[in-house]
Amino acid sequence: MPKVVYVGSDGDERVVDAAVGESVMSAALRNGVPGIIGECGGNNSCATCHVIVREEFSAAVGGPNDMEDDLLDLGVTDRQDCSRLGCQIAITEELDGLTVDVPAHQN
Amino acid sequence: MLRTEINELLTQTGPGTPMGELFRRYWQPVLLAEELPENDCPPVRVKVLSERLIAFRDSSGRYGLMDEFCAHRGASLWFGRNEENGLRCPYHGWKYDVTGQAVDVPSEADNGNFCASVKLKSYPMVKLGDVLFAYLGDPAKQPPLPEWEAYTVPEGQVFTSKRLQECNWLQALEGGIDSSHVTFLHGGNLESDPLFKGSKGNEYNKGDLKPFFEVVDYEGGLLIGARRNAEEDTYYWRVTPWVLPNFTMVPPRGDHPVHGHFWVPIDDENCWAYSFDYHPTRKLTDVEVAAMRAGKGVHSANDAAYRPLANKDNDYLMDREAQRRGETYSGIEGIALQDSSLQESMGPIVDRTKERLVATDAGIIKARQKLRKAALALQEGVEPVGNRPQDQKVRSVAKVLPREQAFVDGIGEAMRAEPGKPHTTV
Repeated sequence: MPKVVYVGSDGDERVVDAAVGESVMSAALRNGVPGIIGECGGNNSCATCHVIVREEFSAAVGGPNDMEDDLLDLGVTDRQDCSRLGCQIAITEELDGLTVDVPAHQN
Repeated sequence: MLRTEINELLTQTGPGTPMGELFRRYWQPVLLAEELPENDCPPVRVKVLSERLIAFRDSSGRYGLMDEFCAHRGASLWFGRNEENGLRCPYHGWKYDVTGQAVDVPSEADNGNFCASVKLKSYPMVKLGDVLFAYLGDPAKQPPLPEWEAYTVPEGQVFTSKRLQECNWLQALEGGIDSSHVTFLHGGNLESDPLFKGSKGNEYNKGDLKPFFEVVDYEGGLLIGARRNAEEDTYYWRVTPWVLPNFTMVPPRGDHPVHGHFWVPIDDENCWAYSFDYHPTRKLTDVEVAAMRAGKGVHSANDAAYRPLANKDNDYLMDREAQRRGETYSGIEGIALQDSSLQESMGPIVDRTKERLVATDAGIIKARQKLRKAALALQEGVEPVGNRPQDQKVRSVAKVLPREQAFVDGIGEAMRAEPGKPHTTV
């Protein structure tokens, strides 16, 4: 199972076993990772699963889609170069070890 | 959800604000033509984009829109005497023409020279159809007159009403681009309202409570497609155009006139809904116009100041029995008041940091982002869209399409307004 590492704004790391095909948002929710809310249930509508993908994974993860791009502008935490919505990143074997930072505020 | 700074950016439209400057690049409805019905009629107060203005129609039929207050010592020109091609302040007799230029200062000995130096801020205002449109921006940036189809059809084919809505303009706009509420909030009216009932589309509307939304960019704003199940291998699409910053159209139903709105900021906590109904190929019937005047369809029954008779002071004449019987879903009568009662209930400016957006809010999310980007780009000198005639020749569309077809392909040129072309409707 690929692992995903969530780094909280306090530096706390949470390592989660994720299923291939599930999203970075749902893996976080399933494992109670703090700071990821996923209010809209993964519909690319609410911007409460904002994560910042660590640079070494950014190429493999890729950039945001059109709606996601708009939501990242409108959400509560300033976006950064590697900002994505967790619900729009599907986990693959290749993304094993994926590390993302979780902003202090989602709503 | 929307962060606080962006909520403020989008909702504040006074002079000097980013969104206020954006609005000042567009001709906006400021009065119904019926409010200045004849030459030398009483002047009318206009508050728009947080500016207090006075409108009048002079002895020659010219329209004037200028600062409400006399340059002398600030008395309101609403008390003025509208006579002999000018509006005269009754305090000391100072008189202004439709451009705001003082043309007589009878209280002063040196009348001529001093008079020439006095000019009130003024804006161009023109009559298109049954509405007076004004442009409040930099004269050097004034766009061509708007060419909304509703205001280019032959006489007798359009009817416009206005209604005070006691909340910020964006709350009202967001209702206009959210098709998913129609099935719930307006469900009862699809069967009973004379300007809505009897179309096949209504059956599809009521038969599918979970529309799928697809939002597509177009030159002047967005096309918001709401898809519902129709027959086994088809979908019923309702396509709402939104043109920056505040124009929306409702998809048509049957051969009824098609309607739409301008959501015009009065100040940050109030707006006017200018609601029009027009038919592209025929005159409105007497029965239709009578229904519109009576507040049916998207219109409302109002007092002399255009405030709805059902308003927040009387709980919008809530009828719990009608709610229970299912005649109306919310208990409020009339489509316009069903919308405004809920939008006003959110407060003057809703705190969007607390909202919980879902997939059916896609149109709202995209519209906010377009508005924000347009306001910020204007600060960098990038001219906005939506104020060009080609952006305005747009129509709403209702159409049944094969399930595999994308709606933009399926409607094709149906969304382009052309004189005499029948609208595409179900």
